[in-house]
Amino acid sequence: MKPSRRMMLLAYRLGRNRLFSTRMLIMLPILLLFIPGMAWGFADPNIQLPDNQIPENATETMFLASIGIVFAGTMAAVLIAHDGISKDRLSGVLEVRLTQPMERWRQSMVLVLGHWMSIAIPVILMITLSMILVGYRSDMWISLTDALVFNVAAMLILLWYTVFGLLASSVAKEQGSAIAFSIGLWFLFTLLWVLFTTLLAALNGVAVGDTQDQSYLVFEGRLDLLSPNGVYHHLLETRIDGVERGVTNLISYLAAVVWTVAPLYLFQKRVNRLVP
Amino acid sequence: MSGEVAMQFSSVGFRYQIPNPKWYNPFQKRQGPGISHIDLTVLKGKIVGLVGTNGAGKTTLLRIISGVLPLSEGEISKDGEILSKEALRSMVGFMPEQVRWSGQQTVRNTITEFALLRGCSIQSAVDILSVVGLKNRADTSLQSLSQGMRQRLSLGVALLGAPDVLVLDEPFNGLDPVAMDAFKRLLRSLAASGIGIVISSHHLTELGHLVDTLALLHQGQLLAQGTTETLQSKLGFEDITELILDRTMSDDLLTMLDVLESEEIENGHRYILQSSDPKLLQLLVEEKHQIFTWRVVPPTLIELLCSATGLDRTSIGMDVEHSNMIPLRNLGGEEE
Repeated sequence: MKPSRRMMLLAYRLGRNRLFSTRMLIMLPILLLFIPGMAWGFADPNIQLPDNQIPENATETMFLASIGIVFAGTMAAVLIAHDGISKDRLSGVLEVRLTQPMERWRQSMVLVLGHWMSIAIPVILMITLSMILVGYRSDMWISLTDALVFNVAAMLILLWYTVFGLLASSVAKEQGSAIAFSIGLWFLFTLLWVLFTTLLAALNGVAVGDTQDQSYLVFEGRLDLLSPNGVYHHLLETRIDGVERGVTNLISYLAAVVWTVAPLYLFQKRVNRLVP
Repeated sequence: MSGEVAMQFSSVGFRYQIPNPKWYNPFQKRQGPGISHIDLTVLKGKIVGLVGTNGAGKTTLLRIISGVLPLSEGEISKDGEILSKEALRSMVGFMPEQVRWSGQQTVRNTITEFALLRGCSIQSAVDILSVVGLKNRADTSLQSLSQGMRQRLSLGVALLGAPDVLVLDEPFNGLDPVAMDAFKRLLRSLAASGIGIVISSHHLTELGHLVDTLALLHQGQLLAQGTTETLQSKLGFEDITELILDRTMSDDLLTMLDVLESEEIENGHRYILQSSDPKLLQLLVEEKHQIFTWRVVPPTLIELLCSATGLDRTSIGMDVEHSNMIPLRNLGGEEE
């Protein structure tokens, strides 16, 4: 059997184990509530949003509902991956794995692909369900291209957070540190980033919080390139008309490539140097 | 030492990086304890026993042999060819000390997973379960396994891919005497099939009966390697004789002998002598002694270790703080 096939088989087995784990069973209702639940809510024809915003099409509704992926999807990715290495390190299984002749970069890819698969499958299903719910409730159906972009962007943000979780797991010597590191990173990008953005904007003399102020939107848009959640939203915005945040589609794509390659490279380097 | 060489270690060394925070660099590290200048030969079909105190460097050496830790000095070769880390990993099967296999996954799934990692066929992995006596437990979940069964599974994983060298770190831990006996028989049969085995254990009695050669490690350095007889001769051990006589020996005779122990026992007297000189027998007969027991006692592993290290029996087991550091000597780097 070719090494690449062995790698994919191992990733599949790991993904399957994680997908049917108790942890996933606990997270599924949360994902259901946040992803299709939010889509259902935002698809309400009588919805009242701040600034009297009204979603004009299914893509915009799904854009609003993407907050469910940012909150619950990424959290689930981190929770799935945070003990990907530290658990094996504690039990001694890591030592056995590291003595196997499969190259370390392949072993690192098994970990990434397996964990990613386990969270990507339910999220894809829920995004699809969300699209159906939006179409059913508002009678506005998302185009195939937009649906594809939504799914690809969601897969990317889940990949990034999966790698963050695994990186934390590879650094931490025990479970507590691994979860603190992973959740800390999730907390920073998901909740603290707004504070960070407004603080920096204020220091730069930009009208903080004024969503009509173009200079604030551009500042925020550019700073968002430094956050995985921000890049995720930039990717979604490539399919929404009338969004001007100072970031072109090309820059959004490039940022997505950087956010994909850099953590993967770091993780692969980390696994190469890993000792039990 | 004769036989076909499975693996040769020349001047192998490794030192751990330990935290050495400074105000200008909180993540700074420096060289810590480890092992140095290890020359070791593993022969096909032979069992090498690694003996040393806690922190002597046994696990570090085993991790180097199995390709987990990188070499910072020296080389590992086979037939004169230096082995890369990947080549080393495919030649060596490693059983670490106490792997706590856990989870819902079955034994069959676990060994299959490792067969994929190792690149060997899934059928051969399932066959190995018979070798280690887990065939009837193939569909048992890992969390239901006893400690002995976990050890067997670890051995099964180490045997995947027919390794040339099997490396076992404290394999007898947690095994009951019956399981230990079965384990030893299994190891002997594996050695008989041509696998070179390196084994580290604190069960010195068990190890003494199992190994062909011994390697004495202390403070990260290999003090000696060879058969028990070679080591006895290298370390200047003379045979020790246990003697039980009907009465005490005469003073003339006692002055001629090096008596290590002497005690009165029921119906006689017991002596431990540092000699097995046959002339002694003649002298005892001349003095009309009745000899109940005449037994040549080989030195135990502890005695060999004490002799090699120069430490006494009490301090060798307890002096961990001292023994887990490489002695102060020039290792070509900064010293601790």
